[in-house]
Amino acid sequence: MRIGIDVGGTHTDAVILEGDKVIAATKALTTADVVSGISNALDEILSMGGVKEHQIETVMIGTTQFTNAVIERRSLTRMAAVRIGLPSGKGMPPMIDWPADMKSAINAQVHMMHGGYLYDGHLLAELRDDEINALINDLKKENIKNISIASAFSPMNAQPELKVAQAIKAAIPEAQITLSHEFGRLGLMERENASILNTALLPFAAKVVDAFQSALKARGLNCPAYISQNDGTLMSSDFVRQFPALTFSSGPTNSLRGAFKLTGLEDAIVVDIGGTTSDIGVLQGGFPRESNVVVDIGGIRTNFRMPDIMAIGLGGGSLVTENGKQVGPQSVGHRLVEEGLIFGGDTLTATDIIVAAGDENIGNPNSVKALDKKLVQDAKETMHTMLDRTIEMMKPGGKSLPVILVGGGSVLVTDGLKAASKLYRPKNAGVANAIGAAIAQVGGEAERLLSYRQMTREDAIANVTQAAKLKAVAAGANADTIRAIDIEETAIPYMDEGATRVRVKVIGELAL
Amino acid sequence: MSDILTHIDLEHLDDLAMGSVFLATGGGGDPYVPKLITAEAIKAHGRVALLSPKDIRDEMFIVTVGSVGAPTVSLELLPSVQEAAETLDAYEKFIGRKIDAVASFEIGGGNSVIPICAAAAKGIPVVDGDGMGRALPEAQMMSYPIGGVKPTPALAYDYAGNRATFDTDTTETYERHIRAFSMAAGGMVTAAEHAMTGRQVKDTIIPGTISFSVKLGALLRQKRGQAPSLEAPLQQLFKSSIYGECRLIYSGKVIDKTTRVIGGYDIGEATIEDFSGTEENLLINIKNEYLLARQDDRVRASVPDLITIVDYETGTPINGERLRYGQRVAVFATGCPDFYRSEKALKVVAPRCFGFDIDFVPLEEL
Repeated sequence: MRIGIDVGGTHTDAVILEGDKVIAATKALTTADVVSGISNALDEILSMGGVKEHQIETVMIGTTQFTNAVIERRSLTRMAAVRIGLPSGKGMPPMIDWPADMKSAINAQVHMMHGGYLYDGHLLAELRDDEINALINDLKKENIKNISIASAFSPMNAQPELKVAQAIKAAIPEAQITLSHEFGRLGLMERENASILNTALLPFAAKVVDAFQSALKARGLNCPAYISQNDGTLMSSDFVRQFPALTFSSGPTNSLRGAFKLTGLEDAIVVDIGGTTSDIGVLQGGFPRESNVVVDIGGIRTNFRMPDIMAIGLGGGSLVTENGKQVGPQSVGHRLVEEGLIFGGDTLTATDIIVAAGDENIGNPNSVKALDKKLVQDAKETMHTMLDRTIEMMKPGGKSLPVILVGGGSVLVTDGLKAASKLYRPKNAGVANAIGAAIAQVGGEAERLLSYRQMTREDAIANVTQAAKLKAVAAGANADTIRAIDIEETAIPYMDEGATRVRVKVIGELAL
Repeated sequence: MSDILTHIDLEHLDDLAMGSVFLATGGGGDPYVPKLITAEAIKAHGRVALLSPKDIRDEMFIVTVGSVGAPTVSLELLPSVQEAAETLDAYEKFIGRKIDAVASFEIGGGNSVIPICAAAAKGIPVVDGDGMGRALPEAQMMSYPIGGVKPTPALAYDYAGNRATFDTDTTETYERHIRAFSMAAGGMVTAAEHAMTGRQVKDTIIPGTISFSVKLGALLRQKRGQAPSLEAPLQQLFKSSIYGECRLIYSGKVIDKTTRVIGGYDIGEATIEDFSGTEENLLINIKNEYLLARQDDRVRASVPDLITIVDYETGTPINGERLRYGQRVAVFATGCPDFYRSEKALKVVAPRCFGFDIDFVPLEEL
C-alpha cells in the first residue's frame, strides 16, 4: 500500500492506495509547522482504513510550499547571485528583469565576474583570482551562506562554476551552493533564474523536508519517502534539500494526474477549484499537456518543463462584489471558515452564494437567507461564465471535451458548464492532488558523451534512451509504459567535430 | 493605434519583439535580451524617433547596425548595453563622418531592436524599415546590396571590445570575412555597415516593417490562443501589408530537431509529426532560419517566403534555438515582400542559393 500526501497552502490531503483502489482519504488543515498537519492527516487515514504502519511500502508527497513561497515572496533567504561571463553582458546583471518586489524579497548580493566559455570551447575570459577573493570577502562580510553561480555555456563546460564553488567552499565550508548547469540546457538567463530561485529556497527546503521526515518518523512510517517533481516523477526527499525548485508546479501536475486516475479519462479538461484560484489544465493521453513557451514563475522566466495551466481568480473564498457581477480575484482564502457569512463572518464569498441558492448545505444557511435573489443568481452566472470562457481558451483544436471537476471549491459549479461535452465530479475529487502524488511516475535519466562521427545520430539517441529505460526499470517503472519525455543534445565543439552530449529522460508508470 | 508610428517607446518594445520573432522565421536570435538592453537605453536617453522612408532627406548619412552570428550563441553570450552605441562611435571615427540615422539589417529577431538601442544611446532617429522584411542568414541577401549598395567600409565589435574593419570587393566576400571574424570572436559580433545616402535608403529599404512588427506583435498578444483561431486575423493583417498571403500549413508535435553551429550558422533540421498521425511528417530545413518546409517531395513553403513555427496553444512564435523535441506547434507560411520575388533578389535568395535543388514557387501557387 502507498500513501499519497499533498501539502498545500491551505489543506494537507492524504490518501492510502492499494493498487488503484482508494482505501482511505482525508483533508486536514495545513499547520504553520507543517508537521502537525501531516501528522493529523496520517492519523486520520491510518485509523480510517484500519491500516498498520508496516503495511505502507512508500510515501509520496506533493507540495506547493516552494511555489507558494516564490509567488508570495516569503520564506526566501538572503543570498548571493554570481554570474561568470564578463566582459559579455556588461550592464545586464542577474535578475535585471525580475519584478521589484521579488528582487527586494531576495535582496541578493550581486556579483559579475570574468570567466566562462564560448560556443566553440574557447575561454570567454580567464577567471580572476582577485575577483574570486573579493567575492569571498563580500560573502563573509555580510555572512551570506547561500550562493547561486551561473556561467556562460556551463551546460557545455561547467569548470568555471565548479572552480568558483570550490574556492567558496574552501573559505566558507558551510556554504550551500547551487550551480546553474545542474538545471540543464542552454539559455543563460533562464538557467540562472532557476538557480537563483533554488538558492533562495534552500533554508526553507531544509525546514520543510525536516518536517516531512519527522512527521513520518513520529508516525512510525520508516518506508522510503519521495517528493514529486514538476514533470510528474519522483525524487528522494533528501534530494529536495538541494533542489527545491524542481518541485515547482508539481501541484497542478498531481491534480491533473489524479483527475485522470479518478475518471480514467485520457483526454479531458481538468478544473481544479481551490480557495483562491481555479487552475485549468488539459489531459492528453492521461498526461498533462505541457507548456511550450518560456514559463514564468511568480513573474520570473525559467526553463522548467511545466504543465500548461491557466489560473483564474475564482475559488471558494472569492469575494463577491458589484451585486454579483464581480467574483474574485480577491479572496479570504483559508480564512473562509471565519470570515464567510455562513461561518458567522461578514464577508460575502462565492461559497455563501452557493449556500444561499440552496445548492449546498454548509455552515449556517440561515445567515444568507436575506441575500437578494437577483444578486445570488447573477453571482452564480458570473462564476460559470468565468470558467466557461477559460475552458474555451484551453480546449484543443476547438473540440469539446469532458470536464473533470476537482478540488475543494468544485461545489461552486452547480449548473453544468456550457464549454464541457460532459461534466464529471469523481468521488474523492477533493483529494485529487494526493492521489496524483501517490501515482507519480518513475523517471530514468542517462547522459553520454558520444561522437556522431563514430555512430549515427539515430543510433546514439537510441543507445542513450535504452540506458535511461534500464534506469527507470531499475527504479521501479513498468517497462511497457516507458516513454521519452526529453532528448537534449549539446554539441561539445572543443572535442572532435561530431562530439555531442546526449541526455535522455524517460518516465513510466510505477510497476504494481 | 495608427498604422505608422512616429516614435518607439518602452510601451512598444514587447509587441515589436513578439512581431519580430514571427517575421524572423526561426532566425534572428531571441530578441528578449536585446529588448532588455534597448529598454535600458530608452530609460536612460528617452524614446527614439522613427523616420518614415518617405520623409528621409536624400543627403542624410545613414548606417545599418546589428548583430552577426549564430542565434544559439545569443542564448549564452549576452550583449551589453554599450556595445551597439560603441560600434557606431567607432564607425564614425573610422569613416570620419557623423551618422544622421540608423537602419536595421533585418526586422526578424534581435536585429529589430538593436538599431533602436543604438539610436537611443546616440540620440538619433531610426528608419522605419529594414533590409529583409524578415530574417535571412547572409549579408548579400539584404535588399541594400541587392539594390546596389556596398556593405563596406564596415566595422565590427566583439563582446570584449576587439574590433575589425572590412573593405571588400563584393558582398559575398564581406559575408565570408565578417562571418569568419564572428566565429573567431565567440560567434556573435555587432557590426556597422552599408553606409548609405538617404536616397539609397529610400530606394532599397523594405519600408514600414518596424511599425508593422509592432502591429503584428499587438495582434498576437490580443488574439493569443490556439493557432487555428489566429489564421483569419493574421490573414487579414498580412493581406493589407507588403506581405500578402498567410496560411496555416501544418500542426503537430516536434519529434526531432537537430542543429549545430557550423561555419558560423545554426545548421540542421526539424521534423514535425501531424497530431492525428495520418499526414506525412513535415520536414523543416534550417540555416539560422526555417528555409524549406516539405512533406516528402511536396514543397509546402520555401525561402524567400516566410516559414514561422508557433506554439500551438498560444500562437507565440518560437525561435529556432528554442524549438525542442516534444513541443506542440503550428506552422504558418507567409508571402515575402514583392521585392524578394524579383529576378535580381531571387538570384541570391532562391532555394538553390541554399543548396536545395528546387525552383522557388510562390506560396499562393503551391
